[in-house]
Amino acid sequence: MSNIEELESKLDQNFVAIRYNVEIEGPAIKPENDSDVQNILPKEEPYKSIALAVLYGDMEASLSNVNDGLEAGLSPIDIINNGLMKGMDAVSALYTKGFYFLPDLMLSGDSMMEGVRVCEKILGHKSETKGTTVSFVAEGDPHDIGKNLVVMFLRANGYDAVDLGRDVPTSEVIKAVEEYKPIFMTGTALMTTTMTVFPKVVEELQKKGLEVPAFGCGGGSVRKDFVESFPMSVYGVEAYHTPKLADSILKDKKTWKELRKEYSKIVGEFVPEYA
Amino acid sequence: MKRFTRMIYKNPEEIIFGNAKFPVSERWNIQFGAGYVVPEVKVAPQEGSEASKEKMIGECRNIAQSACQRAVSIGLPSFMLEQEHVFQQTNYPEWAGECTQIQAEILERYYDEYGISVALRQTPADIRVEERAPGLRGSDYDNKIEESMEACAANGASDLCIESMGGKSASDYGISRGDIKAVLFGIGVLGSIDMEYVWKRIVNICKKYDCRPGGDTDCAQANTAMFMAGGLLDKDIAHTTAALARAMGAARSLVAVECGAIGPLKDCGYENPIVKAISGVPIATEGKNAVCAHSDLMGNLMAATADVWSNESVYHRQEMGGTTPEVWLQATGYEAALMNTALQTGTGETLRDIYTLTDKYRDPQGLILAYDNAYRIGKAIVNYGKDPYLRARAAALEAGKIINEAVDSGKLYLTRFERDSLDNALKIIEGLPLDADQFTDECLRTYTRKVPEFDPKSYEL
Repeated sequence: MSNIEELESKLDQNFVAIRYNVEIEGPAIKPENDSDVQNILPKEEPYKSIALAVLYGDMEASLSNVNDGLEAGLSPIDIINNGLMKGMDAVSALYTKGFYFLPDLMLSGDSMMEGVRVCEKILGHKSETKGTTVSFVAEGDPHDIGKNLVVMFLRANGYDAVDLGRDVPTSEVIKAVEEYKPIFMTGTALMTTTMTVFPKVVEELQKKGLEVPAFGCGGGSVRKDFVESFPMSVYGVEAYHTPKLADSILKDKKTWKELRKEYSKIVGEFVPEYA
Repeated sequence: MKRFTRMIYKNPEEIIFGNAKFPVSERWNIQFGAGYVVPEVKVAPQEGSEASKEKMIGECRNIAQSACQRAVSIGLPSFMLEQEHVFQQTNYPEWAGECTQIQAEILERYYDEYGISVALRQTPADIRVEERAPGLRGSDYDNKIEESMEACAANGASDLCIESMGGKSASDYGISRGDIKAVLFGIGVLGSIDMEYVWKRIVNICKKYDCRPGGDTDCAQANTAMFMAGGLLDKDIAHTTAALARAMGAARSLVAVECGAIGPLKDCGYENPIVKAISGVPIATEGKNAVCAHSDLMGNLMAATADVWSNESVYHRQEMGGTTPEVWLQATGYEAALMNTALQTGTGETLRDIYTLTDKYRDPQGLILAYDNAYRIGKAIVNYGKDPYLRARAAALEAGKIINEAVDSGKLYLTRFERDSLDNALKIIEGLPLDADQFTDECLRTYTRKVPEFDPKSYEL
């Protein structure tokens, strides 16, 4: 027996570390058997199958079901609203409850978006969305996974999320605001010295007399006190909070000042940064 | 280029903090892996300092001065100051040179006055953007990185590091979707190819100066997986997936050493214990004294094999106990003092084992980095040492085996998400081709379509 094995034999692991994620885990259930999911999923076919394919993140089945529905003469809009989006709503419900995880969400989002693309091809134009948002990574910053998640969450929740990419000059951000008139904008940064782009963006918007209802700023080194040192901005803590913030702007006409005050309530959970 | 096909360490028991098979000496009378642990401090310039070169130089001067002052105030025999560049420092090589120069002057002054052993690590930022032509190679940004490296080396850096980003487009796609094939392609194939490109250049620059090629870290990939995996209750990435990504990251970060990097390898490379076991180079690691930068589930365990013990990064500002360079150097300094006391009193192995056991079964990510398991993964890598793809694949399979053994013996518990993600990943990896070209062709067909940022030309594919 080596030294470490001998020491290990004396150790009661419960005095050192407990995997609470294992401790609190409930019984396994099929996603479609969850009560919230049952309330969300459509009852009639083929919408139910279309929604289930999204729920399972099965892109092939999703495309096949969408094509079958279109061939049967269903309206592309109905397929999107009553099938694809319902599936995604169910996915969001499971993610919120902790039964689904990010990969489930991403694969379901991919399946939904492919289905939407097929429908839009038939429609000949983009389907109606809740509203347009704009997302970018600060100039000088190549770290974009946070922005990619934000864009995915917004799209999965029915927003037309315009993705400007990473290392985006301020002038391009301003151009996008002029062009798309977003209801919400997000900026992400990893470095302390690239997040300073955010107040410059706001300054340029103000110079041009432009405004966005709220400008969500977040990322690795971005701090709430810094974000709240300039107007129009809201410190974003988690990527999955983004659609909830956008919804509250859209439905409840919340301003950036109200988002700052009511952040935890709006996202529906305890957020230490806002405690 | 040499490839590691055998282990430099012959026995995992030999691996311990403060000791490496191939110690490294740098100017200002400092050695790494030579029987003692060196504390490191790293502080990010505060916002606004990027407004002008003068402000950035002032910021770097203040960071160095504060760190030196606290080091002598609490009696540290040695320390390393690392400056990770912000965008502007790398994008303007003149800034890189002058910021390095001012920090080198301050360190040298303290070395001359007090005899304290010091080192100055400069880490230019990888600011390349893959999807913007001409991609990772030959762009203005790429050239600026090279120029900044040279400016640092010429102006007093005692070693150079980087956190290179090659393969990140594919691995980000894979990590966020639980697509282990994309993760393996991004880290094992693309990451390894880009590392060779980046590190041959850095080593050539260092040869011209009294400056050592330190090492790289799989920060852009395996750390992305670790950060997204988060704590026990987070809902993003399975911790088992993050553990497999980490094992692959060791096969990729080893490339820097194969190109001529000699260490200490860079602090946030949590894969470093594996690379040390294979190559014998000294490593920097971080854990509990890096809580200022991020949370992890192996805060003590990472100290078990450290030759440099780091705080990772912190805002430059004031805490109750002083400025952050002072406070966090004190934190890493006292931890290094504990390790050095253990080494001096012949109790180093016991402390190493205690560090290890505190976190070994907290999470699968820590389990695979415990020095005995890191050694096993190292062996899996060198068995396929000549083939970057196959060795990353072997590392992931061995990590999976280690996790499964711990679960089977009732020492580690997994959630269903972790269990399912691991089973699924191992099944996919086991079914992958044993020929790197075939795997690469398959991945090129799939991921050039699925990942818009991925540019095969950046890897000469």
